[in-house]
Amino acid sequence: MVVKRPPEAGDILQGTLDMLILRTLVMGPAHGHTIAQVIESTSENALEVEQGSLYPALHRLEDRGLVSSEWGVSENNRRAKFYQLTSKGRKELSAAAGRWQRMTRAIGLILGESFE
Amino acid sequence: MSMRRFTNRTRKDQDLAEEIESHLSHAQDANAARGLSPEEARRQAHVRFGNPRATRERVWRYRSIPWLEDLWRDLRFALRGLGKTPGFTIIAVLVIAVGIGVNTAVFSVINTVLLKPHTYPDPQALVELRNTSAQGSFPGANIPKFNLWRQQTNIFQHVAAYDFGGAGLNITGGDHPEQVQGMHVSADYFALFGAPVVAGRTFTAAEDSPHGGHVAVLSYGLWKSRYAANPNVVGSTIQLDGQPYLIVGVIGRGFVTDVPADLWVPFQFDLNSQDMAHYFTVAARLRPGVTLPQANAQLRLAADQYRRIYGKNSLPPDGGFGLASLQESMIGDTRFPLLVLLGAVGFVLLIACANVANLLLARASSRKREFATRAALGAGRGQIIRQLLTESLTLSLAGGLLGLILGFAGVRLLLGINPGNIPRIGEDGAAVTLDSHILLFTLGISLLTGILFGLLPAISASRPNLAAALNENASRSGLEFRNGKLRSGLVIGEMALTLVLVIGAALLIRTFLKLQAVDTGFAMHNVISMAMSMSGDRFQKTAPVAQVVRDGTDRVLAVPGVKDVGVSNCLPMAGGFSMTFDIVGRPKGNTPFTGGAGFYSISWRYFNALRIPLLRGREFTQQDDGAAPGVIIINQAFARHYWPKGDPLNDRIQIGPGAGPAFAEGPRQVVGIVGDTHDGGPNREPIPMMYIPLAQMPDLETALNSRVTPLWWIIRSDVDPHTLVASITAALHDASGGLPVAHIRTMDEIEARNTARQRFNMLLLTVFGSAGLLMAAIGIYGVMSYSVQQRTQELGVRMALGAQASNLRNMVIRQGMALTLIGVALGAGGAFWLTRFLASFLFGVKTVDPIAFVATPVLLCVVALLSIWIPAKRATRVDPMTALRSE
Repeated sequence: MVVKRPPEAGDILQGTLDMLILRTLVMGPAHGHTIAQVIESTSENALEVEQGSLYPALHRLEDRGLVSSEWGVSENNRRAKFYQLTSKGRKELSAAAGRWQRMTRAIGLILGESFE
Repeated sequence: MSMRRFTNRTRKDQDLAEEIESHLSHAQDANAARGLSPEEARRQAHVRFGNPRATRERVWRYRSIPWLEDLWRDLRFALRGLGKTPGFTIIAVLVIAVGIGVNTAVFSVINTVLLKPHTYPDPQALVELRNTSAQGSFPGANIPKFNLWRQQTNIFQHVAAYDFGGAGLNITGGDHPEQVQGMHVSADYFALFGAPVVAGRTFTAAEDSPHGGHVAVLSYGLWKSRYAANPNVVGSTIQLDGQPYLIVGVIGRGFVTDVPADLWVPFQFDLNSQDMAHYFTVAARLRPGVTLPQANAQLRLAADQYRRIYGKNSLPPDGGFGLASLQESMIGDTRFPLLVLLGAVGFVLLIACANVANLLLARASSRKREFATRAALGAGRGQIIRQLLTESLTLSLAGGLLGLILGFAGVRLLLGINPGNIPRIGEDGAAVTLDSHILLFTLGISLLTGILFGLLPAISASRPNLAAALNENASRSGLEFRNGKLRSGLVIGEMALTLVLVIGAALLIRTFLKLQAVDTGFAMHNVISMAMSMSGDRFQKTAPVAQVVRDGTDRVLAVPGVKDVGVSNCLPMAGGFSMTFDIVGRPKGNTPFTGGAGFYSISWRYFNALRIPLLRGREFTQQDDGAAPGVIIINQAFARHYWPKGDPLNDRIQIGPGAGPAFAEGPRQVVGIVGDTHDGGPNREPIPMMYIPLAQMPDLETALNSRVTPLWWIIRSDVDPHTLVASITAALHDASGGLPVAHIRTMDEIEARNTARQRFNMLLLTVFGSAGLLMAAIGIYGVMSYSVQQRTQELGVRMALGAQASNLRNMVIRQGMALTLIGVALGAGGAFWLTRFLASFLFGVKTVDPIAFVATPVLLCVVALLSIWIPAKRATRVDPMTALRSE
């Protein structure tokens, strides 16, 4: 089961957003706009990234050393800040994903039982 | 959490702004790609993103510590505010600095004496072995006790004996013989105290046994000064009293003993000795896991064993052995006086706090419009209190910093004027150093005082009556009334605390004067004393010592200016020996002997030299020597105590019954009675004393004396004795075959040393009392001038209605004195209860001394009256017209 619509529209639970960002960066370095687009399109637009939360989240991740950043030139030939997963970030992602899967499985079990 | 978060905020914010700009451009590109017009693409990108500033603020806040920002703002505000009123700021900082300075000074001494750990490893396990009795316990041991204690190996790891002070040794062989502090120790001494050996080794057990040979261990100081720290000195010899001593080792610099020693030589006890004389100290290290009660229980058994071996009278009936922590024993009776001093400086700090609180209250009243405006603009009470507390903490920390400097300069100054044998502070207080304890203490009391004096004014100022304060006519608002009461309360408190301090100071001043007035019973002025160490093989028998005494006396008497010269084995007021005795033919009662008394061996001119009056019988003569019948002279206290009726001159006294072979001799005829002397110092009552001629001592006793005490030469002159020192020492040098003298001091100097502790305490409390008095005077002056200023209109009206200037003046004085008198009453009550803690400091004065309790309140009232006079005078100069027009 996937949280289709978080309690408030467009609001991704904190921590979850961090995890999604890290997951997105596995594919390679990306800038903020791409990250938001990838999350939205990958989730078939089920998840909406609130832009006001994206940048605080990226900066928090960078301060924690989970991502690193570098200014570069984007596919549109514009200046953009590219984020890249660090090895610490990679570890954190696998830990977070594991936690998430255990939790969704637990919730699924409960919901499955009550529907029977 | 990573600190990266809080760094480079401004740069990161700019970075974020650019990033957002880049995001918007990309969003715009994406929208344009969907076919929107450039304007629409841009608009939708912005709509989608929301407010970029909000995002930036969110990141900014996440990177900040809110209370730190507030603190910084408050601090800048406080500094600006304080800078605008430099007069107030300087006075407040100075008052706090004085309060904190005296606390830092006293605490730094307490820190060194009571809190710093000993340099010895594991000092908690070190104990001093003591003799216990119903009267208390005292250190000291004889060889049989030492031997028995050494055998208690299940409770002790090491047991070692060492000299009380030592007789001094003479380094000979060079051009000028030099007297050094040589200490006798048993072999285990160095292991017991964990002394570091920098070269060679310490004594072996064989070297510490009889006939173990002449060996010595050097101190770091002597090694450095005499041998330039040459490690090859080990194995060479040093001449001590004309004998070569093999240097076996050198002890490191870190080893500090309370009586500083230059070198150590082994005791070489014969452990089978039956010698009952107590002339050394014994300390031990408890085995790990052994507690004091366990060890004490074992020592009770040891005392029973001692009685079985040496007879049931070898210990007093209620006596035994016990232990005391060596640390406690060294600190001794210093702890309590230091804590009393800490209490006194605590008072000074409280007075300082009250004073600054008063200043702050006055300042707050003049700023009430500022606070009202801020409150009207939406500042909460908490914010106003916080800002005022920041101000007071700024003041107190600045005061604390200055106080730390003042305190440290002060403590150097104080310890420079001989504090009277405070243990562990080193030469002139050199061991009192700045460390983290003191810094933390000063920081702690700075913060505490800042809150203490700041909180009350802050709370009071945060309750403004907005309407009244913003209104022009605010001088009679509720705030004023409340502030007035608060300030009066603070002044009353200051007065009360000051009175307690001043009464304490008065009691100590009276004590000191009483001590100065005591007639010690012997000449103090123009009398000088010097010590001649009689160590060495030459002086193991009485005759050669007596010869030196005779020759020396003749030669010194020949020095122009010398009136008289006496010799003794102890120096009055510098500690002496005591000895048991029997009066021949008297029943002994329950005790093994008739009693105990002070015991001096003296030359025949001793009483003349010190002008101790002969009351009955005769003095000693040169004929009272080893060949003549034994004689003894006693003092009046002795005669009065043991001969309430009957004539002592008809009786004979047996000295040292049961004291061992060194004191074996026949009874002595009492031939004279002399006046009493305050031998323990002016604050001790004279005790019974016995005097015997030096020339009549048993040989073994002379040998023992030569080991443990020097000969004291006491010379009275008719000029300043300092001017005669060179000729006297030369005469003694010739008479003794080249012996040096040391510890050259006049009796006046010894007297001053004896009363140094009292003088030190008196001086400190007088300084504290004066500081308190000054601050209290400033306090009451401030309150009354403020009150006069606030009541200008009222005074104007009264004048207009026909009040005389003197009426107004008296009214102000009455109100000021009312505060003073309430404070004095409270302070006198407090002092009545508190001075009991001073009881042990006092001599000849009761803790509720009527003079102190009458004179000091009068003094305080006079000072208060002078302080009130100025504002009272000002009240009479109010011009009614101006006062009324200002309405």
